Amino acid sequence: MRPLVAERPPIVELIGVSRAYGLRHAVDAIDLALHPGELTLLVGPSGAGKTTLLKLINREIRPTAGEVWVAGIPAHRLKSSHVADLRRRVGVVFQDYKLLPRLNAIENVAFGLQAGDLRISDAEARDRSLDALEAVGLGDRGGAFPHQLSGGQQQRVAIARAVVAQPPLLIADEPTGNLDQETAWEIMDLFEDIAAWGTAVLVATHNVEIVTRLKRRVVTLVDGRLVRDQPAGQTGRMAWLVSS
Amino acid sequence: MAGVVVTARFPRRRLIQTVAANLVRLVFGSAARNWGRNIGSTAPALGSMTLLLLMSGLVGLTGFALHNLEVVQAREASLLHVYLRDDAADPDVVALWNRLSSDPRIARVTYVSKADALARAHTIPGLPELANASESNPFPASLDVQVKSINDVGAIDAVARNERVVDPLNPTSYDRGAYQRIEAVLFGIAVAGFAFVGLLGFVAVTVTMNSIKAAILSRRDEITIMQLVGAPRWMVRGPFVVEGAITGTLAGMVAGAVTFGLAMSGIAAGSQSFNQFAPGITTTVAAVAAAIVIGAGLGLGSGSSLLSMRRHMES
Repeated sequence: MRPLVAERPPIVELIGVSRAYGLRHAVDAIDLALHPGELTLLVGPSGAGKTTLLKLINREIRPTAGEVWVAGIPAHRLKSSHVADLRRRVGVVFQDYKLLPRLNAIENVAFGLQAGDLRISDAEARDRSLDALEAVGLGDRGGAFPHQLSGGQQQRVAIARAVVAQPPLLIADEPTGNLDQETAWEIMDLFEDIAAWGTAVLVATHNVEIVTRLKRRVVTLVDGRLVRDQPAGQTGRMAWLVSS
Repeated sequence: MAGVVVTARFPRRRLIQTVAANLVRLVFGSAARNWGRNIGSTAPALGSMTLLLLMSGLVGLTGFALHNLEVVQAREASLLHVYLRDDAADPDVVALWNRLSSDPRIARVTYVSKADALARAHTIPGLPELANASESNPFPASLDVQVKSINDVGAIDAVARNERVVDPLNPTSYDRGAYQRIEAVLFGIAVAGFAFVGLLGFVAVTVTMNSIKAAILSRRDEITIMQLVGAPRWMVRGPFVVEGAITGTLAGMVAGAVTFGLAMSGIAAGSQSFNQFAPGITTTVAAVAAAIVIGAGLGLGSGSSLLSMRRHMES
């Protein structure tokens, strides 16, 4: 029987978090906790505040009110000079992969590893990058450059880069947005595996089929407000679809 | 040994080697690679910096020469030539020499004969032709009076010019306000020089900042990735500072070489007249000026990059 993830202290905790742009609130009074080993889907219509929430967690922006705690670090009051400490604890995956075109798959993953930690030698970075690529099913494509890989493969490389340093939290912003349904499911399977290793995974998505069939925890944002926090194992209404 | 986890410390020397290798590759290697790749967008910055540094080098050397010239002029201005009549009797000249020598405001008095005056004239540009144009020696004998303070030169002139042995038509070399006029001209040249270099500096910094901005924009993805994987800020910014430093150092080396070359050409070709108009400019001074220009290029390039990053990196 799988242990209840909520029994472990949260890796991410948002307490009354708001972020305003002028008079408009991109996110408004959000309370949320993410636990190790938990895969959470963040859904909502366009402009609901999903990306803003991810940026708050990764300290790309600061909240105008409330507290953001990530792996014990107070992101809401973290100085710019210390942001790197937080980023090393958060893996990030984008819709457009953000791979460096002049580097092959291994080098892209190793770049992420060594840029974050200069103490890692080339040999160690290569070994760990190969391990990460094998874990995402690309052990035999390490020498391929991004333009030689399909969209799904590029996203796998991006995921390998995000997890190679074994961060306790992985956030993904529309990671399946550019992929066909079959490839999208392969990527979601990967996220499930990563969560099973003990990493907290937060995925912002528009993909209704994934949300309904995966039966994981679903956090719904509408107009910057958290309107529903549906626990894993349930299938709820997709009320947000009406306004998307 | 199966199943035993070895937890030995990472050897310090290997750790330092690894960090140094990564630092060289990710900061310096990346900067050099990108500098070569972006040479097209860097060229305007390189050109304007070279021009600025060259002008600064030349203005600096000129300023140094003008400063020396001012010192020479001050010394010359406090040296009063008291011209003697051709028919002045020796006892009268000696008497005047004694009176002037005993004056506490005067450092020393030297007698210059007509032959000495002619010999000296041959070392001054333009005067040898004048000397050769005349059948007799046109230069008078004089008492060269070195006055301790330039402020007393007028009073000493007033005492000496009415003496019987002094040439009534051209009694002394005293020219009221000559030194002040020279000082005013030199001050004006210095102000104009600084203003010119300041303007060029502003242009060079602006152009360099823009070229670094272009480099930042062209590598937005790489910067984003580095920031997102937790690269420290200095590591994200380092390659751009090094790129700016490369541009500045190259500009400095070109400008320094031209400055040194021009100064050496002046020294070699000008000889007497160069020493007259640019006193104190020697090979050592030219080399020091070239080194300062290279250092200024390094500072200008990396400083402009830092300024540009502070403005554009966060956005």
